[in-house]
Amino acid sequence: MGHDFVLQLSGIHKRFGGVPALRAAHLEVRPGEVHGLVGENGAGKSTLINIATGLLRADEGEILFEERKVRFATPRQAAAAGIAVVHQEADLFAQLSIAENMLLARGLVRGPGGLINWPGTYRRAAELVSSMGEQFNVRDPAGGLSVARRMMAEIAAAVSEKARVLFLDEPTSSLASKEIKNLFAQIRCLREAGVGIVYVSHRLEEVLEICDRVTVMRDGETVETRPTEGLTMEAVVGTMVGRELGHVFSKRRVSIGDVRLSVQNLTARDGSFSNISIDVRAAEIVGLYGFVGAGRSEFAQALFGVSRPASGVVAIDGRPVAIRQPRQAVSNGLAYLPEDRLVQGVFRNQSLRTNASVASLGRLSRFGLVRRREERALAERVIRDMNVRAASQEQPLGTLSGGNQQKVVFGRWQATAPKVLLLDEPTRGVDVGAKQEIHKLIGDLAEQGTAILLISSELPEIMAMSDRVVTFSEGRKTGEFSPEKDGEEAVAAAAVPRAVEEGTAQAPTPARRLAAGMLRFREAGLLGFILLLSGVMAGLRPEGFANARNLLDILASAALPAIMAQGAMLIICTGGIDISVGSMMGLICAWAAMAAKAGWPPTLCLALAVVLGVSCSLLNGGTALLARIHPIIVTLAGISIYRGLMRIVTAGKEVTLLPDGYRALADGTILGIPKLCYYVLGVTIVTHVMLRYTLPGRRMLALGNSETAARLIGLSKTRSTLLVFAVSGALVGLAAVLQAGYYGKVQANTGSGLELKAIAAAVIGGTNILGGRGSALGTLLGAFLVALLYNMLILLEASSYWQSIFVGGLILLAVVLDALLERLRGASA
Amino acid sequence: MIQRLLLAREAVLFYVLLAMGAVFAIAVDGFLDAFSLLERTRYWAIPGMMAVPMTFIIATAGIDLSVASIVAMSGIVLGLLFRDAQLPIAVAAGAAVLAGLSAGAFNGWASSYLRIPPLVVTLATMALFRGVAMGLSKAQPISDFPDGLLWLGQGNIVRLGSDLYLPTPFAALLIAVALGWVLMRRSWVGRFTECIGENEMAAEFAAIGVRRLKMALYAGCGLVCGLAALFNTGLYATAKADTANGMELEVIACVVIGGTRISGGQGSVIGSLLGLCIIGILRYGLEMAGVRSQYVVIVVGALLIVTAVFNEWIARRRGVKG
Repeated sequence: MGHDFVLQLSGIHKRFGGVPALRAAHLEVRPGEVHGLVGENGAGKSTLINIATGLLRADEGEILFEERKVRFATPRQAAAAGIAVVHQEADLFAQLSIAENMLLARGLVRGPGGLINWPGTYRRAAELVSSMGEQFNVRDPAGGLSVARRMMAEIAAAVSEKARVLFLDEPTSSLASKEIKNLFAQIRCLREAGVGIVYVSHRLEEVLEICDRVTVMRDGETVETRPTEGLTMEAVVGTMVGRELGHVFSKRRVSIGDVRLSVQNLTARDGSFSNISIDVRAAEIVGLYGFVGAGRSEFAQALFGVSRPASGVVAIDGRPVAIRQPRQAVSNGLAYLPEDRLVQGVFRNQSLRTNASVASLGRLSRFGLVRRREERALAERVIRDMNVRAASQEQPLGTLSGGNQQKVVFGRWQATAPKVLLLDEPTRGVDVGAKQEIHKLIGDLAEQGTAILLISSELPEIMAMSDRVVTFSEGRKTGEFSPEKDGEEAVAAAAVPRAVEEGTAQAPTPARRLAAGMLRFREAGLLGFILLLSGVMAGLRPEGFANARNLLDILASAALPAIMAQGAMLIICTGGIDISVGSMMGLICAWAAMAAKAGWPPTLCLALAVVLGVSCSLLNGGTALLARIHPIIVTLAGISIYRGLMRIVTAGKEVTLLPDGYRALADGTILGIPKLCYYVLGVTIVTHVMLRYTLPGRRMLALGNSETAARLIGLSKTRSTLLVFAVSGALVGLAAVLQAGYYGKVQANTGSGLELKAIAAAVIGGTNILGGRGSALGTLLGAFLVALLYNMLILLEASSYWQSIFVGGLILLAVVLDALLERLRGASA
Repeated sequence: MIQRLLLAREAVLFYVLLAMGAVFAIAVDGFLDAFSLLERTRYWAIPGMMAVPMTFIIATAGIDLSVASIVAMSGIVLGLLFRDAQLPIAVAAGAAVLAGLSAGAFNGWASSYLRIPPLVVTLATMALFRGVAMGLSKAQPISDFPDGLLWLGQGNIVRLGSDLYLPTPFAALLIAVALGWVLMRRSWVGRFTECIGENEMAAEFAAIGVRRLKMALYAGCGLVCGLAALFNTGLYATAKADTANGMELEVIACVVIGGTRISGGQGSVIGSLLGLCIIGILRYGLEMAGVRSQYVVIVVGALLIVTAVFNEWIARRRGVKG
């Protein structure tokens, strides 16, 4: 091969909404080297990686891969070409197996007829995993796996695609030292094999240990690239942080008052921070510095009541407080400016006025009514004090620039006159002018006596503004510094993360194991439950229950919901729903029956029914997709539309006296077993094969698990959605023909209520109502269970009028149980 | 700006209403009979008053499919307590409203605190509450209600002119709309509702009590459904378990036609009122013109879909985010 560089990025410029993220950045990676990439938060590392791996397009600049100019439109393209990336916080398909997560995009092992060969796939995944020195069950759902293992699996999968360049983004932040050693061994193997590895990390010691060369980025520029031979950490830190603030900010001398906020030993429930003790005094600015993952935002959010800490004491003005919700935080005098303004702070379509006043509305209201004059005055004050550039306070906030939006959200909290103000990255993504203004505001607030906790990843900003700087690393407080006496390097060095000694594996609790067991063997459990109930009924009503006639009735009443439930299950798997299938079925039932009466041969009627079903269903799904609205509205209207059409088609009359040939499609037995059973079995098997063994089926499930992850690997939501509605429609058509054939007539209310039975069957059978998980066998058993329960109600002479309650209650029960079991097992994305 | 957008929408709805009215007045004999129109408003008032809380619920990006079932259940509670438990009508009415409130509170609790999507919860309770109504009443209608209750549905509240009166249910509807408008436009309830619908996480961070408010909205919806049941029972002089069948579609259609987007973030009570009038006039006009009810119901369903799509299209064109 003998290229000088396997990957070269040069002259890369990228702006986000006017704010530059990268300025003529460059990176050169040699084959068979481990190349470190370091820089503070906001230096541009993530943006550069995203451009290199095809997630973003550079505004300017060139990418050369193996000395050929390349342009990637999607990450999939980049990966297929040989540039792979493993993120720490990747979106994954939580309910699908690890093996599938690894191989769905890259190639599941196929068998005869193009069907998926699962033993082969699991074997391949297991091989890849063990080649990384790991041992775990690749059949387990990915959501329950620790971050470390997920990452190893991802690396193995990326490597399997013959990646020539591999980007590792913060690979060790969740690993124990043993796992890190293993990872380094694998990295060295890859290096021997000629792969160019880009190792992005804040853990400078590790970078110096494993990397051959290191590139330092700062403020969107590549500052320097050097061999790591003989390089010290202090030197790297110095290159990372050495720069000017851009303007002079001098904090005025204010006498610092009493302690306003006192935190003792605060520890998070999820391990993001532990044993933090901090005091903040009136008129004092305490800076909190650290890198990504240090736990600073989680700490501030726990103080503000967004999350509940596991232990610790928080006191305001000397009084201990228990803050469980943001509302309580505010009434105790706290305010929190969120880190991610777009997701956590801004209501883009609401007016500036609303955004400014939202935290103060309670105070501004009397008898529940907002006093408009005072609200407008508050908004005016915010505009004035924050120097917001806006045409009017009625303007939607989204029309303002990022800096002005930030100022409004800042003003929102300032208007609550807090005693303690928690600022999380207040100047992130904000232009220089606005930054200056915000700094001045912070200074003014401190002067007025507010206690301020300033979280920032910009060292010059924190050093210039804070009276004291506290460093966070890996969820712990690692130091306290005085900007006057201590230098930037010392502070930065204290913030550099280091590996922790204890392991990260969690042993599953007994409750967890039980939940996992119940979920995995759900179908067996359902079957057992059905048999149990049958046994009980046989005992309670020996003549009524256990005779052929009754069992046939149960079978018949289960058959049609069972068929339609498979369609409902598929739609739910992709994250949608169709509640019009009952009325649709009634319409098709009438139409096909009338065609039969008009002399059409039975098979043609069946074909008509299927075509009608597919068309109606595609209309439902297609309209919702095109208009980008949730299918509920379309299918809700569909109920009335199909019911109305049915009445028109039948002219309000029953359809009876159907020709024998038509009825023979559904009625009667073959080899002593009712024909309906064959249909049900056939549909169940086909659905099962489709869902489990074909790519379209797996894509449906992937889409239902995570739309973003699905899009990232190039799956088309449109295709999967339309396919799933088409299949459901075909099944509705089939059920319609069978309904008329078996019962011999079509009435005005034929089909009504079937959609609920279908959904109930699917949910009982283990389909996740939110999408991403489904089972054809489970759905079949669910339909059978519902029919059995109905039969029990009748035989036990319970009022038939309570049946409707059953279906509703079953759905609720099944959904709640499901959610509880999932949470216990811990398989959340 | 959002307010301006909606205002334009409400104006457009008004024009549409006028245009429809004009078309029907010309094309259909006897349409413009003030007396008949006013009588018709009795029937509009039931879904209409339910559309007010539904506007808030949809504005939070939620939905309540069980409203019609709650009406049925409350009506049966009213009837049974009055007939079988021999309670005075006022007490039975209070209990019926309470039943509605509890039903709504359950919806709210299951969706806000158990975190089950409101669509799923109310789909299930739609069947559940209807079943309760069926079971309690054994599918038998209950009648023989006192005049006081009948007045709620069939009576009039004030004289408008010679021979013209304002029907009680319609007056109640107007009060409901007025209260709803005040809540949405002038009170923090409406403001917080819109914020929750637009960005629930930001609403949490803005110290809005999201779960409490959502639960209260669903409970309030149940309460209004209970009240609607009183008017409904009075109007038909009967409490039946299958009353208000399919009414959830109409109620949601009022809200969607009124301009409120399914994805939430803003809501217009006046719009819902206009939506109600449009559906009502459309139904009334078509029926007077001799169009059979099965066609009318298709038209309403199609109108709902078309309007929902149109709402989204307009919002995207105006650059509304999300």
